[in-house]
Amino acid sequence: MSALTLAAGADPGFLSPTGVEIAFVLVGIATLGAALVSVTTKQLVHAALWLVVTLGGIAVEYLLLTAEFIAWVQVLIYVGSVVVLLLFGLMLTRAPIGRSPDADSGNRWAALAVALASAAALVWVVVDAFRTTWIDLDGPAQGSTKVSGEILFRHWVLPFEALSVLLLAALVGAIVLSRQSPADAPAGPDAPAGPGASAGSDKEHR
Amino acid sequence: MPIPGSGLAKGLAVTLRTMTRRSHTAQYPDVQPDLPPRSRGVIGLFEENCTVCMLCARECPDWCIYIDSHKETVPAAAPGGRERSRNVLDRFAIDFSLCMYCGICIEVCPFDALFWSPEFEYAETDIRDLTHERDKLREWMWTVPAPPALDPAAEEPKEVAAARKAVEKLEAAAAQADTPTDPAPEGGAGA
Amino acid sequence: MNDVLDVALRLIVVFAVFLVMPLVIGQTEHKVMAHMQGRLGPMYAGGFHGWAQLVADGVKFAQKEDIVPANADRRVFQLAPAVALLPYLLVLLVIPVGRGEGAVGQVIDAGVFFALAVMGVGVLGSLMAGWASANKFSLLGGLRTAAQLLAYELPMLLAAASVAMAAGTVSLPGIVEAFEWWWLPWQITGALVFFVAGLAELQRPPFDMPVADSEIIFGAYTEYTGLRFALFLLAEYAGIVVLCALTTVLFLGGWHGPFGGDGLGWVWTLLKIALLAFAVIWLRVTYPRLREDQLQKLAWTTLIPLALAQIALTGIVKVAIG
Repeated sequence: MSALTLAAGADPGFLSPTGVEIAFVLVGIATLGAALVSVTTKQLVHAALWLVVTLGGIAVEYLLLTAEFIAWVQVLIYVGSVVVLLLFGLMLTRAPIGRSPDADSGNRWAALAVALASAAALVWVVVDAFRTTWIDLDGPAQGSTKVSGEILFRHWVLPFEALSVLLLAALVGAIVLSRQSPADAPAGPDAPAGPGASAGSDKEHR
Repeated sequence: MPIPGSGLAKGLAVTLRTMTRRSHTAQYPDVQPDLPPRSRGVIGLFEENCTVCMLCARECPDWCIYIDSHKETVPAAAPGGRERSRNVLDRFAIDFSLCMYCGICIEVCPFDALFWSPEFEYAETDIRDLTHERDKLREWMWTVPAPPALDPAAEEPKEVAAARKAVEKLEAAAAQADTPTDPAPEGGAGA
Repeated sequence: MNDVLDVALRLIVVFAVFLVMPLVIGQTEHKVMAHMQGRLGPMYAGGFHGWAQLVADGVKFAQKEDIVPANADRRVFQLAPAVALLPYLLVLLVIPVGRGEGAVGQVIDAGVFFALAVMGVGVLGSLMAGWASANKFSLLGGLRTAAQLLAYELPMLLAAASVAMAAGTVSLPGIVEAFEWWWLPWQITGALVFFVAGLAELQRPPFDMPVADSEIIFGAYTEYTGLRFALFLLAEYAGIVVLCALTTVLFLGGWHGPFGGDGLGWVWTLLKIALLAFAVIWLRVTYPRLREDQLQKLAWTTLIPLALAQIALTGIVKVAIG
């Protein structure tokens, strides 16, 4: 982490914010607002589109912290793929124009409590961990591709590999779940239907 | 077995080759089309030949030919002769909004008064303006091309054959009259 | 002050390129497609061989009524063309035309990722348009767009990753700087995969199922008229510019050329872009539209394995050299 942080010696303080800091706070507020709308809106697809704004806002925050690579990966994966997948799923199932009355949940208060608790935990952890670290934005980019790559594959290579194993497991699990088991197949080779045709069609199904 | 992808390459070659060749587009208003002989553009009327026999109007499947006429008496050509009556054409109109360009009127005309013209630029903005009167039809006569030449091995047209036979007969007669080798027995035989 | 002027000048130049290049490619498509089909194409607008046809089209689009269907989601419907068009403008900013700082709108450290990420966002516009039109055909078009993007984003990224591995950097000028002529045979598979996947992502024929006019009218753009429709069309042609420029920069060596010094680098870049754009048009004229299942099959069973093989090859050669 040494590359990302500087010693706490030159503490700039909160009372004289720089332009970047002001922009950071403003974008943060906008992102938070978009996230709130995304959760509370009654229109399904609008929620997904507000999610785009939220994720884009987070990408801008990364950019302001000079973590360029992370920002673009955020856009590429979250905005370009995850949200598109989400929209795809919505359109494939149900995406009415206008309000959907069943978009509300009875346990919204429980959800709010969980959200607040997790937010508090995250804020507390982050504040506690990085209280005295400041990123020097004026010098060479601290979050450039080179620096990110070095940190990722030197200091954090074990969590990285663990994550990839996790994702691989999820992938395999998804494939297993979506595969038809031979017992469920509509016309297995043992089925008393057509003698040869059913086996052939079954083979084609795979 | 063909190389995989050779079909795709062949397709690309076809389009590229077409691009290098001349295009087939007819640039009509800028360049007049080169029409084939006997194009059915419009029907022209050679009214000097018309005798108001009404055959065309009666044969027309669409009833799109309108003919008005009256009779005139022509004074006798010679003193003491009989007066003759003659049909005079007052109106000859073809409604081209009805005409289906079958050409039956032209086929049926015994006096060669109707002809196909290749002229085709006579569109109108009002359908009623498509009924063209005899002056317009007469003007179109000027656009009628000379009939195309016959095929080299074609049979001689009947009219030409008849005319040629008549000419040959006359020539033969003249030749006989011109050969005075032995006129007396000929004349005697003839008498 | 000088900095502001510099930035403004760069933005203006990029914007001008963004407005002019798609029109040039569109006009070329009109004429090339016509001649490939034995026609002449536009001949009247502007006088000489219809050079001003697209200008005339633009005037026509501007005069048309801007219609929003009664049941449509108004704001999303109106926002969609901008979402579709703007990303391509952003990508043009980072594409280096020649050597040095002066020939690129803005140097970005992770240029490859930026370009691919932002291009992916452009597809969001089609999705929004398809959903917000309140039309089943549009929705189908939107669905097909999404499925196509998901299938082809991956091979495109993998092919780009291969060339980034070869160059040892993800910055676009850096990749061109590192280019050697023998990369051409080395990265040819990656280049083909990238170009084909890019065509599919732009929904260009033969990958235009999302706008298949014989099946779903005009897909997501069915309900659009006037300027908003023109913006979608402009986005398509801007996308061609961006795809050809990216392929040039990543795989064809950008400003490197067999002869001509540093000063003429931009000529080489533009020449390569023009050649690729011609290929895009050529492919459109030649091939019929793929079926939806053929499209998915091509992506998952052909392009992705090819891209992975290219990455493996790149890695092996890289290790062997190093």
